[in-house]
Amino acid sequence: MSERKKIVIDLEESEKVKLGERSELNSIDASGVLSVNNVSERSRIWNVKVHLGETRGATDIGDEKLVAGEIDVGGKWEANYGLNVESPILTFKEVFDTCGTIETDEPHWAYVKDKENPVKITLTITNETDGEIDNIILNKTIPPELSNIEIMSVKSGNAEYDEGTKQVVWKDFVVYPHESSSLVLRARGYVDDTEPKGAGDVVITYRGEDQQRSNLNPDLTALTEFLTGIETAETEPNQWQCTLECSNESDLIVRLDKAEVYLTPEDGSEKQKMIEETPGIELEPNQEWTSSFEVESKSTPKCTQDIIYTPAREIKKRVLGTIKKVPQEIPVYSIDYEKTFDPPSVSSFDKTPVEVTIEVTNNGSAKINEITIEDNLPDDVMPPTSEHVTVWIRNEEYTGPFEFVIDPEDQDPEKPHKISFRLEDLRNTVGELEPGESIKINYAIMAWRSRPEKEYPSPVTCTANTEPAGVPAIVGSPEDGHKLGVIYKKRAISTKKAINKGVGAGEYIVVLVVTNSGEVTAENIQVSDWIPSGFDYVSTDPEEDAPEVSAVSDGSKMVWTWTRMNPGDKKKLRVIVQGEGEYERREPEVTSI
Amino acid sequence: MYFGKTSFALEYNEMTVLLNPGIWNEEPVVPDDFGARIVIATNQSEDAVGNAATIAVNSKAWFLGNQGAADKASEKGVKPWLVHILESEVPYEIPDLKITPYALSRIDEGEGGRIENLGLYIEIGDMKVGYLGDAVIRGPFEQFDMDVLIVPVGGDGVFQVKDAVSLCIDAKPRVGVPMRWSSEEDPKKFSKYIQQFGQGISPVILEPGQVLKVFWAAGNEFRYELD
Repeated sequence: MSERKKIVIDLEESEKVKLGERSELNSIDASGVLSVNNVSERSRIWNVKVHLGETRGATDIGDEKLVAGEIDVGGKWEANYGLNVESPILTFKEVFDTCGTIETDEPHWAYVKDKENPVKITLTITNETDGEIDNIILNKTIPPELSNIEIMSVKSGNAEYDEGTKQVVWKDFVVYPHESSSLVLRARGYVDDTEPKGAGDVVITYRGEDQQRSNLNPDLTALTEFLTGIETAETEPNQWQCTLECSNESDLIVRLDKAEVYLTPEDGSEKQKMIEETPGIELEPNQEWTSSFEVESKSTPKCTQDIIYTPAREIKKRVLGTIKKVPQEIPVYSIDYEKTFDPPSVSSFDKTPVEVTIEVTNNGSAKINEITIEDNLPDDVMPPTSEHVTVWIRNEEYTGPFEFVIDPEDQDPEKPHKISFRLEDLRNTVGELEPGESIKINYAIMAWRSRPEKEYPSPVTCTANTEPAGVPAIVGSPEDGHKLGVIYKKRAISTKKAINKGVGAGEYIVVLVVTNSGEVTAENIQVSDWIPSGFDYVSTDPEEDAPEVSAVSDGSKMVWTWTRMNPGDKKKLRVIVQGEGEYERREPEVTSI
Repeated sequence: MYFGKTSFALEYNEMTVLLNPGIWNEEPVVPDDFGARIVIATNQSEDAVGNAATIAVNSKAWFLGNQGAADKASEKGVKPWLVHILESEVPYEIPDLKITPYALSRIDEGEGGRIENLGLYIEIGDMKVGYLGDAVIRGPFEQFDMDVLIVPVGGDGVFQVKDAVSLCIDAKPRVGVPMRWSSEEDPKKFSKYIQQFGQGISPVILEPGQVLKVFWAAGNEFRYELD
């Protein structure tokens, strides 16, 4: 059986879609090409007209009828038109999550600098129509910041990553009506500067066979090789049979729409319609169609015909689409900090208030939603109280809520303390910290009798994060960083002793002179002196400086304790002892801190 | 009552003790006609003695000070019989008032070196007040039981804020009052540090002309009111 050839009216409509960084629709341009294709191998068609009627609504076609004229064998006639559509038949969404290992409602949108970013990319295609969409090819450009690309899952089709071209190609699949298909990629992201990066563009091409964006429903009329004629044959005297004969001489299917035959009476009266048919049949090549009537006439009847036919047509249509998504800009979050002590150094063995200021600056390109500062205070430092912390944001004092925890929660200067400051949800309070902006905290500590031989490191760790929170940006000092300086002030407690004869027999006056000749206040000074056996303690001048006297194996021991001696302070003691024997001299002992 | 700089008047019943009515930039802090029963200068500097002699003469008050201050007061016309030289650790005592001076020192910013400055332990009525004048050292004051401790904070030859705070923390008075500040930040810092590190101590910053009233409510509860 030979091929049934029909004139093809082809509607090829295309849509070009541009999506923004977040897959939002930026623009869509649609257009179409209406073409009439004469698929005949030997029959031209002419008087070709394309009838559009009221179906031109969404197009810019002005006329209801398009005149195509003559189309030769194998020829084509085309008309371009514009289309007005609001959305594509295939929608696409890319979710570029810079921290795919932490589940959040919204994806993470920034890289953290100098750390590994567990990137997860989810590409989703949705068929918004009632028909299938096929020939889908998706090309995703992988930016240079990503490595270790892995295809985690693909719902349909095949996806491959080409290391050479840095492209992921996803193809060979069909998306059924109102269904979606997804491709999930995983990668390792790493950036070592703070310039925003591109997430790589996406280009998708697709085809919706038998689909159209317009409502065009074209019909066609044309002429082609088609024989018609009326045979008049006398069957009996003055009896005639008139036969309308139609024959499709082309190799196309021709539809016969109307066949009318009129007889002109012999008397010249008005014509009579003898055949009136609307067969609507499609005639195969070389197929004939006839219709006849009988009439009485002395002469050969005079007949005229009115035939309407047209080559049969079929409509082919499709939608070709392209989606281009611009790369999402991925900023980088990073912080720097500065910590200062004022004064930077304290005098040894003194109690000195020291202002601690820590300023954390957003030196990245992403907005920051939360900041944490952990400051470690060494021992010999009295920590602050939480109500004495001052916070500035963008150099303006901030009085909103923040967390300030001192662990352990006391002011014991003999223990090290960890201070934790946390400021979160900036987005919903004072606004996120923009690049270049800073948060500064200040509190006072009290250096508590710092010892010159010790080191007092006060390391700090600052972290920052975005909303939603992902891998934190961390910056900090070494474990032995930020040492509180101690200015060594020499301690010198001198003791001088003289043993003089007293007034009475066996009475001695022991003179002790204790002097703080150093540069720093001495505390808890303890001076002890020995009284030989055979002698007893009698009194001290001044009386309020009387010692504690206790017996020891070879005599007794006098001990004086003073809580504090300032530089230059001097204590002169005259101790009267009485007894018998030789008053042996031993040097007094002194201790202090 | 605070006049500014290091000048205070302590009042109890009918008795007024004026401390360090200095002259600063040739301007007296305390008016010449201020009435006092006792006028004290803790050292011989102009910012301590100031117009003490004039006030003492006008109000026929006793003048108390160390030898240097007394000499200066005498030069300025205080009658010798109204001058009492304070010696370290030797109390001066009259009814409702006992003043025990302690030899401290201040830095002589003009001549260099140190000069003697007396720190005063004042028992007035039922209150014990430590007044360090222009001290740059603390002496024995950390050991004293004090209701009010008045300390310099300016660092200009006297205590810096840190020294004043350190003394307060050690001495634990009920009220710490800064004086002689070099900048507006000094008393604020003093107050901040005392609040933070001086448990049980109330820092009180007085403005010139302000009066701090301290008393024992019901005989055993210490209270203070700031005018």
